[in-house]
Amino acid sequence: MSDDNVGDSMGAASLHNHSNLGDDSGLVAERIRVTTDGTLLIDDVDCTVARGSLSALVGPNGAGKSTLLRALTAVQTPAAGSVTFGSNDLLGMPRRQRARLAAFVEQDATTDTSLTVGMVVALGRLPHQSLWEADSPESAAIIAASLETVEMTAFREREFQSLSGGEKQRVMLARALAQQPQLLTLDEPTNHLDIAAQLAVLELLSSLRSTGVTVLAALHDLSLAASYCDHIIVLSHGRVVAAGATETVLTEQLIADVYGVTASILRNPVTGKPVIGFSPA
Amino acid sequence: MAKVSPFALGTALAIALLVSITVAVTIGPADIRFDEVWRSIGSHLGIGVSPLSELRDGIVWQLRLPRVLTAAAVGAGLALSGAVMQAITRNPLADPYLLGLSSGAALGAVSVLLLGAAVLLPLAAFVGALLALTLTLLLAGSLGAITPSRTVLAGIAVSALASAITSFVIFWSVTGDSYREVLSWLLGSLSGARWPAVGITMVAIIVIGIPVMLTGRLLDSFAFGDVQAASLGVNVSATRWGLLAASALVTGAMVSVSGSIGFVGLILPHAVRLLVGPGHRALLPLSALLGAVFLVWADTLARTLFDPREIPVGIVTAMIGAPIFAFLLTRRKSST
Repeated sequence: MSDDNVGDSMGAASLHNHSNLGDDSGLVAERIRVTTDGTLLIDDVDCTVARGSLSALVGPNGAGKSTLLRALTAVQTPAAGSVTFGSNDLLGMPRRQRARLAAFVEQDATTDTSLTVGMVVALGRLPHQSLWEADSPESAAIIAASLETVEMTAFREREFQSLSGGEKQRVMLARALAQQPQLLTLDEPTNHLDIAAQLAVLELLSSLRSTGVTVLAALHDLSLAASYCDHIIVLSHGRVVAAGATETVLTEQLIADVYGVTASILRNPVTGKPVIGFSPA
Repeated sequence: MAKVSPFALGTALAIALLVSITVAVTIGPADIRFDEVWRSIGSHLGIGVSPLSELRDGIVWQLRLPRVLTAAAVGAGLALSGAVMQAITRNPLADPYLLGLSSGAALGAVSVLLLGAAVLLPLAAFVGALLALTLTLLLAGSLGAITPSRTVLAGIAVSALASAITSFVIFWSVTGDSYREVLSWLLGSLSGARWPAVGITMVAIIVIGIPVMLTGRLLDSFAFGDVQAASLGVNVSATRWGLLAASALVTGAMVSVSGSIGFVGLILPHAVRLLVGPGHRALLPLSALLGAVFLVWADTLARTLFDPREIPVGIVTAMIGAPIFAFLLTRRKSST
């Protein structure tokens, strides 16, 4: 992969955001650098996610997708760089305030505690409540609405651990929605899910656009990313190698460069959306 | 599964605690009635005149009442510490005793006691508890990922060492009945609890315990681990170390008056969870209340079961707690 590739594809996506940090700009990360135990995991990454869009973060295993997502939501503070969302400095703002603005759904979240679905979703209200105040009717309404959005209302009293992978993921999504975020980041939300559950999660994320929530999801499945996401950020070895509108970025050549496989971009005869087939290089 | 309303259980336990304290004071070689206990206490608070003779009034006010109140405070403090440690280390087997805090606290207390600085007792116990906890977590961490079982194993090692040093220090320096002294520190005893013990333990409950009880929502956020807690706006490391230090402080204050009483912090939070579910806003205060009731009765058993001989209260709590600990272990047999 060449440096030209980086410049070309970054241009379109990042132009207006650098010049204008007004309230309508989305997520803008600049010169993000993350090191863990002396190893450089994220190397000078710039990326942007347009407000109200559904964007995918893709790349091979070990590219640094999880690390970058954690840095963007300040769950793991980057060694250097800045992250803004609209006029908010995500890294500098108070934690609770940030948690009201940005929610993060981690990969394969597990618990040993026998929490009910309702209790898990209620965790999302934490940034909105003081420690000792009682649950407000407003909070209860938001929890109910979040469960409704992910179609898990009937599961409210069920134990979280007894749910299937897809159901758990929807509950975690409801928990994130209960934070009433403007920015939602998800790490591999379709991991370990069957096809129907994968599509259900992506349909949900895509429906969030109408509510104005900006969504960035790390995804493994390039076909899913290509069919659902407006924009795509391609990460490899801790660097952004391409970013921009999905159609322009996700080319057979780029997939060959980044993943080391031969890719054929086809069309799904039913939906007309791209489907990507692979063969060894 | 139908759960009990936390409010109903809280009210029931508060009443049970008041009744337990009064009944426990009536129990003993000198026969004192329920109403006489209340009137005696009232007289010392400036209400009415005690119906009891000076000697019997002394038994209520100078011996039994402070001992029972100390038992209640120690039970509450240990159960609260256990509940907090279980949440913050995501370890259902965490308990001040099993993780070595109690033995560390006992060692700290014994050391300053023999140096003649009894005033520093709770402080030294706190330092001992904190050192033991740090050592346990370091040792567990050096074995690999910190799992519940590894933490308990590390706690056993730290606890064995601290207990050995405690025993050595006592045998070395105490003249007279050193065996009894060793036993009361290692197995826990409330036989020496008078008003100063009530003061130390009550201050710990009010100044540290009650603020800790208000952190239930923070502890809930740890259910899915650190990353989730951080994404919910919780300052993970400050919360973790702050609450672990608070647990060590409470444990230290309790151990400095009672020695290391085991299993209270392990079993009572589990019992409360069975009744009201895992939410920490209810779990913390209810564990403290149930711990208070539990230890009042455990200590009453300890001093009356083999009357006129008294056994260390830690024997009673271990008899009840060890089988429950074994049961909790078998439930986790799939993990390391």
